Amino acid sequence: MHRPVPTKQEERQEQDQRLGRHGPFRRLCLACATSLALYAACFALVLDRPLSLGFLRQEIDARLARGAAIEGPKLVILAGSNGPYSHRCAIIGPLLHLPCVNAGVAVGVGLDYLFARWRPLLHPGDVVYMPMEEAQYVRDRAANALGPDAAIMLRHDRLTLARLPPRRWLGALFSYDLRGALMAVIETALVAGGFHDPRPDAIGESNVMGDHVGHTAALARANASVLQAATPYHPSAAQIRSGYGSTLIAGFIDWARMHGVTVIGGLPTGFDDSPIPPASLGAIRDVYQSRGALFLELPNRSRYPRSAFFDTADHLNETWQAIHSVAVARGLAALTAGTVAGKVPAAITAADAPKRTASPSIGIASSLAPGTAMAPLPATIP
Amino acid sequence: MLFHSQPFILGFLPVCLAGCFLLGQAAGRVAAHAWLLAASLFFYGWWNPPFVLLLLGSIAANFTLAEHILRLAAAARHAAARRWLALGVAANLAVLAWFKYADFLLHIAAPRAPPLGIFLPLAISFFTFQQIMFLVDSARQDRAAAGPLTYATFVAFFPHLIAGPIVRPKDIIPQLQHRALAPNRDNLAAGTMVFLLGLAKKLVLADTFGGFADTGFNAAATGAHLTLFEAWYAVLAYSLQIYFDFSGYSDMAIGLARMLNVRFPLNFASPYQARNIAEFWRRWHITLGAFLRDYVYIPLGGSRCGAVRRSANLMATMLMCGLWHGAAWRFVIWGGLHGLYLVACTQCRFTLRRAAAQALTLLAVVVAWVPFRAASGTAAVGMLAGMAGANGIALPQMIVHALPWLGWIATPVEVLPYLGDARTLSFPEVSACLMLGWGIVLLLPHVHTLSERARARALASSFAFSMQAMFFAPHVAPFLYFRF
Repeated sequence: MHRPVPTKQEERQEQDQRLGRHGPFRRLCLACATSLALYAACFALVLDRPLSLGFLRQEIDARLARGAAIEGPKLVILAGSNGPYSHRCAIIGPLLHLPCVNAGVAVGVGLDYLFARWRPLLHPGDVVYMPMEEAQYVRDRAANALGPDAAIMLRHDRLTLARLPPRRWLGALFSYDLRGALMAVIETALVAGGFHDPRPDAIGESNVMGDHVGHTAALARANASVLQAATPYHPSAAQIRSGYGSTLIAGFIDWARMHGVTVIGGLPTGFDDSPIPPASLGAIRDVYQSRGALFLELPNRSRYPRSAFFDTADHLNETWQAIHSVAVARGLAALTAGTVAGKVPAAITAADAPKRTASPSIGIASSLAPGTAMAPLPATIP
Repeated sequence: MLFHSQPFILGFLPVCLAGCFLLGQAAGRVAAHAWLLAASLFFYGWWNPPFVLLLLGSIAANFTLAEHILRLAAAARHAAARRWLALGVAANLAVLAWFKYADFLLHIAAPRAPPLGIFLPLAISFFTFQQIMFLVDSARQDRAAAGPLTYATFVAFFPHLIAGPIVRPKDIIPQLQHRALAPNRDNLAAGTMVFLLGLAKKLVLADTFGGFADTGFNAAATGAHLTLFEAWYAVLAYSLQIYFDFSGYSDMAIGLARMLNVRFPLNFASPYQARNIAEFWRRWHITLGAFLRDYVYIPLGGSRCGAVRRSANLMATMLMCGLWHGAAWRFVIWGGLHGLYLVACTQCRFTLRRAAAQALTLLAVVVAWVPFRAASGTAAVGMLAGMAGANGIALPQMIVHALPWLGWIATPVEVLPYLGDARTLSFPEVSACLMLGWGIVLLLPHVHTLSERARARALASSFAFSMQAMFFAPHVAPFLYFRF
């Protein structure tokens, strides 16, 4: 006797019954386990974000390569994007007679990751200047574990990941959300399709020392309204003291002291109409000084008019980046005179700056984007 | 306590289930109900313990009144039963009005008077409506007999307490009275599956779209001029957010009840696939729609008294529906718009092709979300202006560069400042997310009609993302319906 052809619904019911034999809980557990396995395999082995994370990875690796290539004492500027945008190694290094690497990339990059990558490259006699953004001190453990470095480590740098605590392994394994997953597909497709990354045209790019260049005052005009409307965030002193970022920085200072590396804390740049509250400033200072590190506090506390910035309070435009760099170099020279091995001058005058940076190999002019003119430095440097 | 929070999933839920089943088997139904009631009150009090007293007071007063009304109705003293019913409904609405609408009414009566600053108790709209149903069903003698403990367990039952579904006493109380008190493997597995799929809707989809919607609507609230894509993307994202958020919550509630061997009614059935607005309301927040139909629209006369009266009844019902969502004009406008849509739908004498009807319905629903979500009337008008292209059409340079013909209609800009994270790649990112979201709601059947195999597939594709969001996302957003 022929069995009638089953309808689709009957077929589905039969399939369900077959599945049901395995037990409803087994099916449930199997679905969950499959999901986790697929997720881990996709993001650890297959998917990537070549444009956004690839760009960051290149920036980090280039700075590390520059650091590794320097023999003898060096100056390393460690921060988020405040480092490369508002500081210029091409000016500070020659003024201090120290080869310099601008090692910061972005605020989101985990400090523990950054420290883990830089520790092997730091040697006795090196100076690390840390003008960390205020947000770095208060970044919590969860946010730190989910920064872009988590996905970078999972996909490309598992050695560094293995050196970090196990909670960071989990954070890295679960660093992709739905948006990240979709963007991984889109970015891969865009790269495969020969997509031209417009960022260098819009915001400039990095030089070999890691300085951001080309973020001119002319380009900054497009961001004038955003800068005017920006409301800077100042965490409280209590937040800074108890912040996870502060703990990581303190740990790094301890390590540096044991390894003969001089750490100098500093202030990030910001708007002069929005000073860091005195208590918060004291808390930032304490993070460094309570661990025996030095702290550089410029007379203007790194505050500048809004017109001096590029797109955020952490990013000076190129002209003011140079001005701030001279001021920082002068402050670092005064702080480190006699304490740092090498040829750090005891003092730098404002008049030194244009003269010393006029050299085409290391001068300001060489690091400007083609076709842009550098405004002359003012006689009085803050 | 939120269904998608770690304390609920890792702490409350396993303890509550274990306690209920263990006590049920060891000490019987009364002990299990007492445990469930205590657990539900703990769940409610987690947010603000003093309001547990309000909830308990409301339960006690309504139960006493309902028993009295039932006795009167049983003794055929219908006029007295109706009087007590009116009193009970009025008292419930007065409590609701005090907590939820006092400031709103005061502002209407005396715009310059300082607000009373009354704190809105969590879930008051839900447990008030639930108990009004019980009073009405008592007067109609259309409910099962229930003792005070069973009734309190029903009202405070944590799966539906905070944001529904608005379940009928006559559907749930018998289940509480007769359900098995031992864990049922099939129910536990099916409930967990539906709960996890609801969790994914909330954490993976709703919160993703919520971020996009917030960017646009927050900008509109500050008076920013959103261009066409920024405005449409924000509204489309909000339409998805509210659907995934609320239907995700409902699925979680249905799943939780199922784990306890109680079956809740369906609350969402692919509403954006509706072909007219009446069908939309048969698919969107089904239990609220049913409540309004049975306890407001039909008692008002429904469609039995001519076209004009029917239209008036529809408008009144939908305005009440809007007000139920919150004490603000934006909700009234939203309800009014849906009332007008329903009136227009009943007057409509022509039929559209399926796709056109679905598109027109969807457009009407999406437009109505604008006043519902916008922070103010000005922001809503600004958003609608952006959607109409009044602020121009802008697209990222890279899109125009890749597709030069777009240059004819759109101005190339560096980034769209009110779209996603305002980054170079935000436009393709938001576009891809919206395509995925709308693909799910328009093309796929809803969770409750999926086969077991399809549900398992859906879980396999979402579970890891849910875990990512629950344990590793820095921010957990509350449910949108949390305080309605």
